[in-house]
Amino acid sequence: MTLVVTDLSIHFGGVIAVADMNLEVKPREIVGLIGPNGAGKTTFINCIAGVNEPDTGTATWNGREILGLSPAELLRIGVARTFQSVVSLHDLTVLDVVKLGAAAHAHNAQGFFEQLFRSDHGRDDELCETLLKPLNLVDVAYSPIQTLSYGQRKSVDLARALASEPALLYLDEPVAGLTYQEGMNMSAVIRSVRDRFGCSVIMVEHKMDVVNATCDRITVMAHGARIFEGTPAETQQDPEVRRVYLGEA
Amino acid sequence: MLALQLAIAGVATGSIYALIALGIVLIYKCSGVVNFAQGAYAMLGAYITYFLLRLGLPSIVSVLVGMVLMALVGMVTERLILRRMLKAQIVSVMMVTLGLLIFLKAVCLAIWGPDQIAFPQIFPSGAIDFAGIFITYNYIAAFVLASALSIGFLLFYRFTSLGLMQRCAADNSRAALAIGIHVSNQVSIAWATSAALAGLGGTLLASLGGLSLGISDIGLIAFPVIVVGGLDSLAGALIAGFLLGILEAFTEGILTPNLEEFLRSVSNIQSVGALQQVIPYALLVLMLLLRPQGIFGRRGAERV
Repeated sequence: MTLVVTDLSIHFGGVIAVADMNLEVKPREIVGLIGPNGAGKTTFINCIAGVNEPDTGTATWNGREILGLSPAELLRIGVARTFQSVVSLHDLTVLDVVKLGAAAHAHNAQGFFEQLFRSDHGRDDELCETLLKPLNLVDVAYSPIQTLSYGQRKSVDLARALASEPALLYLDEPVAGLTYQEGMNMSAVIRSVRDRFGCSVIMVEHKMDVVNATCDRITVMAHGARIFEGTPAETQQDPEVRRVYLGEA
Repeated sequence: MLALQLAIAGVATGSIYALIALGIVLIYKCSGVVNFAQGAYAMLGAYITYFLLRLGLPSIVSVLVGMVLMALVGMVTERLILRRMLKAQIVSVMMVTLGLLIFLKAVCLAIWGPDQIAFPQIFPSGAIDFAGIFITYNYIAAFVLASALSIGFLLFYRFTSLGLMQRCAADNSRAALAIGIHVSNQVSIAWATSAALAGLGGTLLASLGGLSLGISDIGLIAFPVIVVGGLDSLAGALIAGFLLGILEAFTEGILTPNLEEFLRSVSNIQSVGALQQVIPYALLVLMLLLRPQGIFGRRGAERV
C-alpha cells in the first residue's frame, strides 16, 4: 500500500506549476506537504486526484498507475480527498453528504435495482456513531450543509471522504480557517483515523503547529518541486527550509 | 354535484400534467436544460403503447414495455445529443430539444398518419356511481396511476441512494463530480426517467381522449405548470399540475357556460370559445408578474 509519484510535471500556459515532483508515501504514514503560496501543493494533489492531467510523470498506488483515473474511479480503489474550499451544496443535509461518500465505496456499492428501491437510511445510526461523533457533527446530522459554519463544513468534507473508507487520503488544508482549538481537535481526529483505518495520508497545510502535531514526515515544496524531506524536527532545523518558507527571524 | 364531478375530472387530467411536468423539472434540475421535447415524449409513448397493444400484448405489458422503451429513447437522446453539447450554450441545447419535438412529430406522422385514432381500451369499461356522480374507470385509473407514479418518484428521489446521487448532481454538478459521482450517468438516468414518465402520461391522455399528434401539445401546458410550481421544485410541479387540471375543469364546466349566458343577455356574443385552454397561460403571466420563482421555487432559478 505505497504511493510512489515520480517526476510529475504540469504547466498552465507559460507557468510551470509542478516541476519533476517526487513523493513517496509509505503504508500508514501521514505525510505533510508544506511550502509557500504558489509552490504547487494543491496542483500536485489535483494531479494525483484525477482533477488535472499532468504533462509527464507517473504515480502508482499499490503498483497500479493512478494518473488518468477520474475521481469516481479513484474512490473505487480507495483513494479519497477533501477540498481546500468546501464543497457547496444547497439542499443536502450533513448525513446526505456523508452517505454520498459511503456510496462510493466498493463494499457498499449496490446494484442498480438496490439503489433504485432500497431506502438509504439503514446505516444512519452507524454513520453518526463512527464518523459524525468524533467530528462533533451529531447535532447537525440533519441540518442542510449551507446552515453550517465554515469549520463544520470542513469537518463534513472530511467525514464524507472517510465514509468511503479510504486506503489513501489526501487532505487539502484541513484546518485552514479553523480556530487553534478546532485545528488541534482535527489533528487528533486525523491521527485516530489513520490508526483506525490504517490508511496513508497526504496533508497539505500551512499551520505548522498542526503539521508538526499530525505528520510523521514532512515534504517541503517550492517552485513546483521537492526541496526538503524529513521529520518535523529536522524540517524545523533545516536552514534552507527556514529561508524559503518558515522565515528567518 | 357538478362541482364535485368537475373536480374529479380535473384531478385526473391534473395528475397527468403533474407526471409530465415532473419530468421537465427533473431534467432542468440535473442539466439546466428546459426540455421542449417533453410533449413529444408523451406523444411517442402513447403511439408506442398503441403499437404494442395492436400486436396483441396485454394492457399492462404494453404500458410497462412502452415505458421501458421510452426510457431508452430518453437515454439515447441524452447520449447522442446532450452529451455532445456539454460545452454549448444552454439556449442552443433548448433549441435542439425544440427540433427534437418537431422531428418526433414528423416521425409519428409518417408512421401513423395525421388522423385521430381510437385508443384501445386499456382499463375496464364502465363507471362507478358515487353518490349520484358517475366516474368512469378510465378517469380513476388515470388518476391512480399518474399519482402513484408521481409520488413513488418523489419517494425514490428523497429516500434511496440513487435518488441521493440524483439530488447531489442536481444541486451542484461540479461539486458532485469532484466528490466522485458519475454526473453524466446521473443526467442519463434523469432523461430516461423523464421520458418514461412522459410516455406513461401520453398513454393515459390517449386512453382518456384518443390518440393523435395533438398529444404533444401537453408539453405546452406543462410549462405553465412548472412556472406556477417553481422550475426547480418537483413537489411544486406535482401540486401545480393538480391545481391547473382542476382550474381547467371548472373553467370549462362552470365559468364558460355562466359567462356565455351573461354575454348573450347583454350582447350578441354567443360563445367565448375554449376558455379553459387560455387559463393556464393567463395563470402563467400572472405568476410571472407576482412571484416569478413560482410557488415553491427558489429565488434565482432561471426563467425561460
